[in-house]
Amino acid sequence: MNFSETLKSLWVQSPGKRQGIAAKKYIIKRANKASIVMNITLISLAILTIYGFFTFEYKDVKILEVIAATAANFKTMLLEPRFNHFDLSKGLYQVGVTLGLAFLTTLIGGFIALFLGLLAAQNLSSLIVSNIIKGFVAFVRAVPTVLWVLIFAVAAGLGSVAAVIGMTFHTVGYLIKAYSESFEEVDAGVIEALKGSGANWWQIVFQAVIPSSATYLLSWTFMRFEINYMNAVAMGAAAGAGGIGYELFMDSSFYFDLREIGLITYFILAIAVMLEFISIKLKVKLRED
Amino acid sequence: MNVLEVKNLTKKYGTETLALSDLNFSVKEGEFVSVIGQSGAGKSTLLRCINRMIDATEGEVIFAGVNMCKLDKKALRKQRRKIGMIFQHYNLVNQLTVIENVLHGRLGYKSTLAGVVGSYTNEEKRQAFEIIDMLGLTEQVYKRCDQLSGGQKQRVGIARALIQNPKLLLCDEPIASLDPNASKVIMDHLRNISTKLGITCLVNLHQVDVALKYADRIIGINKGKIVYDGPPDLTAEQIHMIYGSQAGELIIDIGGRNES
Ligand SMILES: Nc1ncnc2c1ncn2[C@@H]1O[C@H](COP(=O)(O)OP(=O)(O)O)[C@@H](O)[C@H]1O
Ligand SMILES: [Mg+2]
Repeated sequence: MNFSETLKSLWVQSPGKRQGIAAKKYIIKRANKASIVMNITLISLAILTIYGFFTFEYKDVKILEVIAATAANFKTMLLEPRFNHFDLSKGLYQVGVTLGLAFLTTLIGGFIALFLGLLAAQNLSSLIVSNIIKGFVAFVRAVPTVLWVLIFAVAAGLGSVAAVIGMTFHTVGYLIKAYSESFEEVDAGVIEALKGSGANWWQIVFQAVIPSSATYLLSWTFMRFEINYMNAVAMGAAAGAGGIGYELFMDSSFYFDLREIGLITYFILAIAVMLEFISIKLKVKLRED
Repeated sequence: MNVLEVKNLTKKYGTETLALSDLNFSVKEGEFVSVIGQSGAGKSTLLRCINRMIDATEGEVIFAGVNMCKLDKKALRKQRRKIGMIFQHYNLVNQLTVIENVLHGRLGYKSTLAGVVGSYTNEEKRQAFEIIDMLGLTEQVYKRCDQLSGGQKQRVGIARALIQNPKLLLCDEPIASLDPNASKVIMDHLRNISTKLGITCLVNLHQVDVALKYADRIIGINKGKIVYDGPPDLTAEQIHMIYGSQAGELIIDIGGRNES
């Protein structure tokens, strides 16, 4: 019986039989292992959260007072920003240092990641090499940037050197993943076409793979630059790498100058908004191309 | 003179799939051979075994007097320069211009560095423009390939293959994604390339009528075996043999509409 006959017979059958068909329960989605594990996790997290609220040690803290005090601090910080320990030109200079740190680490990291990313892409490399690099890189990414900086600080001492090396390290890890996945998206047929005409690996990479994935590479790199800017602020504070983050750290830990902290926060925010703006413009332009 | 000789060619994917089983044929210089057969018959595998994009399991491919299966990597690259390849999906770098894509056909002749930076000799550029002109793409030279129609893309593909100065063109379903008009343009170009330039063409097709109209010779493949090898005047029975017994009528029907 072919398909259309089957269909026809389905509709001419006696109503009773059709009802029989309708009464049977059909299941579209089956409970699988993943969904069971997921549900168990969610339920246990919910129970733990509720349990937590009953068992916190509240001591003498009066919630309302604390909230009010914090709000007052925030008000000072955000509504009365002003310079105290440095002036506008020094501020701009320090922001420049932070941006420079972000730029340097993104540039060096991007360059290294470009080559390792080629070796990590399965369509351009061997399975073994690709898996080794991807495994190593997954480990590098799993450790946060701050930790890498502190690890390198053991050898280089706390400061800008450790910050550059540590941030570059994490950048390389991040960009290798991003780049190699972009390379793997490149149409296998294009690579086949050039290979079939006698082109060698380097020629295929530069004439086909990179032009095909250039827009992705650029937008990933810029995205990492934004992340590195934020990292550079944090590293200035946490690792004494200098820049605006260091000023922030001094104001909050030594001078307790809330007004200047507010000002610095606005500075950092302004640059972040600017970068976001450039990034959006860049993406629109790339998409048009 | 035989440009291509295929002897006892067998290809197994894994241990299960026998894609090609013991093929034997030879192709003369300037001959236009069409390989026809159902989807999955092994046509693409056959073409790729010839330029060793796929390594054969057994057998020999002798191209221009050289046994392709015995070449090391470097010699193989050198030999591949003499074999152009044309694809159903064109396989161009869409982000680059027509002229840049055409010049890619010269990469095999260049040093690594010159290829990497895309530096071509004046003579190579002159040839590229000439071929582009011959294929009627002069107006599109500086256009990015993603702005071209399917038929134009395929002509760029042909230009890229021609600039290799090939002895043999392997065409894997070159018109399967094109409308009838563009298909005709492409098939006419391929026919000319074979007749006027003396370049041997091995063209996979699944439109029987097109194959019969253009080819000097038909090779029919069914389930990895050659079931017909001869002139393009097949009887209905022979077509049945190639396409399997029940499908014969149907395929000729569809073929008449020039379906992709
Ligand atoms: N990479 C591969 N791995 C495993 N089997 C394959 C592969 N490529 C093709 N095949 C199988 O080999 C047979 C021939 O395929 P193919 O040469 O693509 O046929 P055609 O081009 O005539 O449609 C098919 O059965 C297909 O499933
Ligand atoms: Mg095929």
